[in-house]
Amino acid sequence: MAKTYDYLFKLLLIGDSGVGKTCVLFRFSEDAFNTTFISTIGIDFKIRTIDLDGKKIKLQIWDTAGQERFRTITTAYYRGAMGIMLVYDITNEKSFENIKNWIRNIEENASADVEKMLLGNKCELEEKRQVSKERGEQLAIEYGIKFIETSAKASIRVEEAFFTLARDIKAKMEKKLEASNPPKGGHQLRASEPQRKPPSWLSRCTLL
Amino acid sequence: MPDCNKNFESEIKEGKNLRNVKCKYCSSLILTPSTGTFTSFEFNLPLMKQSKVNDSNPDTENVSLFWAVNEMYTFQNVGFSNTVGDNKYLTCADCEAGPIGFHDIPSKKSYVALSRVQHV
Repeated sequence: MAKTYDYLFKLLLIGDSGVGKTCVLFRFSEDAFNTTFISTIGIDFKIRTIDLDGKKIKLQIWDTAGQERFRTITTAYYRGAMGIMLVYDITNEKSFENIKNWIRNIEENASADVEKMLLGNKCELEEKRQVSKERGEQLAIEYGIKFIETSAKASIRVEEAFFTLARDIKAKMEKKLEASNPPKGGHQLRASEPQRKPPSWLSRCTLL
Repeated sequence: MPDCNKNFESEIKEGKNLRNVKCKYCSSLILTPSTGTFTSFEFNLPLMKQSKVNDSNPDTENVSLFWAVNEMYTFQNVGFSNTVGDNKYLTCADCEAGPIGFHDIPSKKSYVALSRVQHV
């Protein structure tokens, strides 16, 4: 059977508990007497499809699924990861300070060329802010990675974050491909393509 | 909620799903047309809502009409639950309603229950 996509990217969401990695606006409802079957057993990963510069990209997104409570994530979890979203909560100083620990953990366990991005989440809670935007930007510069403030709850810039990460992974792959198979003519990759309208799933209240 | 089981034959075209398969609750797109193959067999699928008193022994219902999907990346948007026995259960990727079907680990095939999704 023909492949139904152009690229498959494995992405990880990493950060302290409670930073809103799995905040959902609408969740199939629970009440005093009932629980939902899925929330009891938990979600392993999700598959999302996005259209990026005319290419169909499948994202397989894994959450740390509670492993973060142990402050370390094993090598097995990082295996095959091409992109990592480092998420902190702008209303929680500690979650920001821990980003450094997460980066160290990534450097020790993940592939060296994994594409990383820093996300300051919950930016809708301006009155409770503990971490300034400048500090987020500074940390990102220090590590040479991209930075964005998002609100999963108010669906602000979450889509932009995923598109940016996916676009950077795609560019890196195409560069590698080009290097191992140089074009004969004067062909050049376009540095940037026009932004496309994000699909609806990204405008909902969930990073995962 | 219209029960698509009553009229399911009109949803099949050349053995595949004629229309988009979406979540009943939030309309998240799960499968595009002709990506699921109609299949019928009996399976006890856990109910979406469970009573809190019998967590270890979930209530199920017998479901028999499915869209079979051979490769997981055929899905547009979907969630896979943690493993239970030989299966992972399928959920909506957005509102996490589920199970909308199940994934059989040995065969790597996934099955979406017609009665747990909408066709639009």
